[in-house]
Amino acid sequence: MSTIVIDNTFEDPTRRAPLVLNHHDFGSVTDEVCWVNESPKPPLAWYITFVISLSLLGMLGGLIMYLFATGVGVWGNQNPVMWGFPIVNFVFWVGIGHAGTLISAILFLFRQKWRTAINRFAEAMTIFAVMCAGLFPGIHVGRVWFAYWLFPIPNQMNMWPQFRSPLLWDVFAVGTYATVSVLFWYLGMVPDLATLRDRSKTKLRAILYGIFSLGWRGSMRHWHRYERGYLLLAALATPLVLSVHSVVSFDFAVAQLPGWHTTIFPPYFVAGAIFSGFAMVMTLAIPARQIWGLKNFITMRHLENMNKIILLTGSMVGYAYSTEFFVAWYSGAMYESFAFVNRAFGQHWWAYWIMVSCNVLTPQVFWFKAARRSIPIMFIACLLVNVGMWFERFVIVISLEQDFLPSSWAYYKPTWVDIGMLVGSFGLFMTMFMLFIRFLPVIAIAEVKAIMPEANPHRGHDHHDDDSDHATMEARS
Amino acid sequence: MSRAQHTTSNQQLDGAGNGLFTIAAAVGGIGLITALILGALMDHGWDRFFRSYLYAFAAVAAVCLGGLFWTMVQHASRAGWSVALRRIAENVAANLQWMWLLFIPVMLSPWLSHQYHWMHPAGDPLLEHKIPWFFGMSPLNEAGEQVGHIPWFWLFRAAFVLFVWAILSRFFYRNSVAQDATGDVNLTHRMQRFAPLGLVLYALTQSIASIDWIESLEAHWFSTMFAVYFFAASCCGFFAVQILVMKWYHRSGRLTTEITTEHYQDAGKLLFAFGVVFWAYIAFSQYMLIWYGNIPEETTWYMVRQLGGWRMVSILLLVGHFVLPFLLLVTKHTKRVTTVLGLIAAGMLIMHAVDMYYLVMPTIPGDAIATAASYEELRDAAAAGLVEVNFHPSLMDLACLLGLFGIVTAMTVKRMARHALIAQGDPRLPESLAFENF
Repeated sequence: MSTIVIDNTFEDPTRRAPLVLNHHDFGSVTDEVCWVNESPKPPLAWYITFVISLSLLGMLGGLIMYLFATGVGVWGNQNPVMWGFPIVNFVFWVGIGHAGTLISAILFLFRQKWRTAINRFAEAMTIFAVMCAGLFPGIHVGRVWFAYWLFPIPNQMNMWPQFRSPLLWDVFAVGTYATVSVLFWYLGMVPDLATLRDRSKTKLRAILYGIFSLGWRGSMRHWHRYERGYLLLAALATPLVLSVHSVVSFDFAVAQLPGWHTTIFPPYFVAGAIFSGFAMVMTLAIPARQIWGLKNFITMRHLENMNKIILLTGSMVGYAYSTEFFVAWYSGAMYESFAFVNRAFGQHWWAYWIMVSCNVLTPQVFWFKAARRSIPIMFIACLLVNVGMWFERFVIVISLEQDFLPSSWAYYKPTWVDIGMLVGSFGLFMTMFMLFIRFLPVIAIAEVKAIMPEANPHRGHDHHDDDSDHATMEARS
Repeated sequence: MSRAQHTTSNQQLDGAGNGLFTIAAAVGGIGLITALILGALMDHGWDRFFRSYLYAFAAVAAVCLGGLFWTMVQHASRAGWSVALRRIAENVAANLQWMWLLFIPVMLSPWLSHQYHWMHPAGDPLLEHKIPWFFGMSPLNEAGEQVGHIPWFWLFRAAFVLFVWAILSRFFYRNSVAQDATGDVNLTHRMQRFAPLGLVLYALTQSIASIDWIESLEAHWFSTMFAVYFFAASCCGFFAVQILVMKWYHRSGRLTTEITTEHYQDAGKLLFAFGVVFWAYIAFSQYMLIWYGNIPEETTWYMVRQLGGWRMVSILLLVGHFVLPFLLLVTKHTKRVTTVLGLIAAGMLIMHAVDMYYLVMPTIPGDAIATAASYEELRDAAAAGLVEVNFHPSLMDLACLLGLFGIVTAMTVKRMARHALIAQGDPRLPESLAFENF
């Protein structure tokens, strides 16, 4: 259908802005979203991205083999920076996932209807990010054939993991998170998978989508069960948004180490995680809506809202940085002050200032409406935020390089394997994402329909209200 | 439902507030007078007065701050469902316009009481380290003796903080009230434009206030989480008050059709989310990290709160501020039965007062902690009465709390009577009136 550019970013408190543009019936919505999966060939950009991602994934596989064959000495990890890149990458990727859970769970409970256009692929992003995250601790254990000892499995030797270690709590926290995220994502997708099944032109598609849509027929009873289940999962996923990254922050904060042991870590990590996750959603959404023509669903208003969340969470992160720095001085603890001054002016000063300028200063452009609505500005800003949030974890992790014992002071340097694996993890992430875009419904079709004015049962029957009032009385999100 | 149905009930308080106003004003007056009399009569009466007064001020100011926060959040997020309730938050927050008057005794307390140890930094390396933060210029002469007695920087920050609160609460109250008559959409635009900036200022000033006035009571202690904890507590206080006010309106026959069970349910959700769960999350994170780290300079703060009677207060908070309300509020049924919700809110308001008591009142038996060989030894000594743990709930605390709570309640009721009880001119009011939970 012909697309007319409509500005839905207007500020009019008397009516809610339309969130789906250029569609006046449900059929055209289904057609437009399903086209991403049903077009005979994906766009050229998909092939290019997929090939690059797959090569990087191959490189990651090769590097993992090399690591297994040689040992963790191929990394730059050293004493006292025992964790190095693997934990930086782990925290980075876990953080990325949080936007998906926030969008699908918290924004759902907050009845933010605009979430429907972005929740599906944000949730997919969550799952792929958690896969990348889970990889790094798994290959860091040294003797990978014992990696399953992370789980408290009874065995003849009575070897139990250390229950008092937050690293074990991470196993539970991230494990629960991955499970609930997959369930939530899959449950939400069932009605759309049934739609794809019903539209299948080939036998294979019909069978595969048929299996995964679990016999969905769209009956009233199905919908009733589905919505109850969805609500319950949203409520269960909400504490996970807080708990996962809080537990990740405990990895650092329980230690008696300057720069790590600080009480604001849990909410600060959570804010940072949401911040980085939204930046990643934007990084993926901006090209995707362009390439697959999804601008009618992921509208400028959606992007603007996300920019506002980035401004909010970026400022929270800035608040945490300043609090930490202030209290490091206020506490009068000399090691604490040293750690912070050293971060900002020591040998890795550049990493600290990359972090501050990307995470705190960059999002401040979103105070301005023009920046919130400019695709190039927001895209660059979000890329910078991705960089900055990676560096935040880097700064925290490597601040140990100058510990209590000056004789062990060194300059932490990653090896080519470290860098290769970081790049390779993006390959894993993007490969999964490209497959997802091609084969699964990228936009929650059923949910988007429910926020259209057409979904309101009173539409056209109430003569007292003009059209603008319908927007305020749209059906549930 | 059409709009016409919603305009039938009484949106003005008129005389319905008179009874509460009289009671609150009387309680407030009697409370403060009692506190002053006790201050003159008790041993170390004025020290106690200033401490209890600070406690009461923190508890009451937290509620008003919660209201200010909630008002601004609604504008920043273009909230629709809650418009029918917003005037409550505005009225409560509007007290911040004059609450600097109530702050005067706290402002004088560095001189008139001994509660702020940082006033006498000479000879204490940590306190000398903090001189710039409290005094600005050093009050010590070259021999290290204290010659200056005015904490300039601390006073300046207090003035700044109170000024910002007054301006913010006035701005949102005035504009909203002005909209009642005109329904001018531009006022909504205006408030929406300034709300995010207001939230930034709020985060800054609320952090300064909680660090300067409460955390610094134990001048050696520090925690980066402290301001967030106070923020969670203020949310708890306000969201409990909000439900109580809704309930009071209904009992007085006001806003009976505008505020529905749906609004109660969501107000209950807010109390549950912020006042119970978020508070517990922050409290747990702070406690767990300090307990786990087990560094003496941090654990002192919690140690005193686990000795003698304070132990019971800590356990009371754990059960009464989290476990019990969590179980009660997790289901939607309690949130939709307004009497039950009202009772839970009243309980949470009391727990908020206990929480502030726990935050402000304990003083550290410094020598005992410094000389004890272990926590167990200290605990046993405290149990045997050999160590003074300073747990002496007194009539003074209650008198100050009721005094300030009464005065602020009376002023709030008086202000409620001045304008409509609901943001009549807000363009999103119809959305709020038609709001339903799914």
